[in-house]
Amino acid sequence: MLKLGRRTFDDTDLLVMAIVNRTRDSFYDKGATWDEQRALDRVRRVVAEGADIVDVGGVKAGPGEHVDAAEEVRRTAGFVEQVRAEFPELVISVDTWRAEVGRAVCAAGADLLNDAWGGHDPGLAEVAAEFDAAIVCTHTGGLAPRTPPHRMSYDDVVASAIADTVALAERAVSLGVDRRSVLIDPAHDFGKNTWHSLELTRRLDEMAATGWPVLVSLSNKDFVGETLDAPIGERLTGTLAATAVSAWLGARVYRVHEVGETRQVLDMVASIQGTRPPSQVIRGLA
Amino acid sequence: MIAAAAACPHPPLLFRELTGEQDVAAEIRAACHAALTSAIAVAPDVVVVVGGDRRTASWDPGLAPEVRGFGTTDPRPVSPGLPLSLGVASRLLVETGWHGPVRMHAVACDAGREEVDALAAEVASAGERVAVLVMGEGSARRGEKAPGYIDERAFGFDEATGRALRSGDLTALAAMDPGLAAELMVTGRAPFGVLAAAVSGAPARAEVLYQDDPWGVMYFVASWVFSA
Repeated sequence: MLKLGRRTFDDTDLLVMAIVNRTRDSFYDKGATWDEQRALDRVRRVVAEGADIVDVGGVKAGPGEHVDAAEEVRRTAGFVEQVRAEFPELVISVDTWRAEVGRAVCAAGADLLNDAWGGHDPGLAEVAAEFDAAIVCTHTGGLAPRTPPHRMSYDDVVASAIADTVALAERAVSLGVDRRSVLIDPAHDFGKNTWHSLELTRRLDEMAATGWPVLVSLSNKDFVGETLDAPIGERLTGTLAATAVSAWLGARVYRVHEVGETRQVLDMVASIQGTRPPSQVIRGLA
Repeated sequence: MIAAAAACPHPPLLFRELTGEQDVAAEIRAACHAALTSAIAVAPDVVVVVGGDRRTASWDPGLAPEVRGFGTTDPRPVSPGLPLSLGVASRLLVETGWHGPVRMHAVACDAGREEVDALAAEVASAGERVAVLVMGEGSARRGEKAPGYIDERAFGFDEATGRALRSGDLTALAAMDPGLAAELMVTGRAPFGVLAAAVSGAPARAEVLYQDDPWGVMYFVASWVFSA
């Protein structure tokens, strides 16, 4: 069972986490939900499309506008409070590496801390424990927050991802985070080139075999773009292909921009796997 | 005695198998081949490679380049290979058709004056006619998409390096500021310093065959010939 704050999920559930950026400069939406009202509208839309989780982010992942902790709190905490008020049952995640921000958003009603920079601030897991929140443990290859990969080399990228994320997961549990509330994320493209991200996808079953629920963040990323020679805006098909493969190999949570399309792919894979009945079966049975 | 030298960058994407279907670095690689061809045209009795790395050390030139760590779908090698700068050099030497003796030295990117001078003395005395292949680059902080994002100081720094390589200015090449070079993610400071300290006078002919930053890292390809 997976416990994300106030909600629990079965081990066969495939969950969609919708990205909601409170940034001006994120690579894909480029500030589309910087305005608070637009961000709320996006939450409403993605919930209607079948998102189980929203992931609110106040800082662009890559290099860009400097955002200090106070500004990050300003961008995220009040928004979390509004989403919580309107959607009491929705799982709210916040994408941050800072414990200070984690504390503010958990107080505002967040269920999950998406520590996308792999334990850079060791205090973040302590905050998760304190608020009985869930946490995502990611692999960055040792990079500091917002650092692009440069000539990263791994003896075995999958082994590295497993070792680092499992260590972070065990540490989180040792600090008091509920064992059912810890996810691991190989973090495609973080500290990795396209070869590394492809290999992680190809061998995702090894990560799933650790027993920790695996979150993947594939959406419109550069490894899709480089693989298909597709600019931002033309990467949905590649993203969905990677999503289907990841689902088949055991990933549980999908952090995405396009919710409806992802939901459909995950439902289809679940039905192929036999964990979800088809919506209706009439043909040949009348 | 140094008879000729070539300076080349060492991005992993010079390994053809790492860039997929498209050979994105063809132009840079061709420039490297040209520089190296000029260097070995002086009929050296040895090619000495000096490449930036984490630590100063001599390497067995018979080792294979370490490529798999960066990608491909190949099986993993059982033993570690040459570090990146020396690995790219090794590949370039093969591609250029050099089959003679090779020596390989890594120099720490943060190497101090004494370390640089000691290695330079070793390089200079490696043979009667030595061709040196120095592997290093300018700043990796030349744009918003650059590996180290943008630092405006990178432009002046790299311009000065390019000028020194183009004019065979040993003093300027030896005088690159180590602190600033480190901040700007410059890999060429120590290797270029070794070259400057190893030669006994300015080159008879100095040429820069490539100077550009297509992915935010400044690549220089240069050729120096000291005697015909």
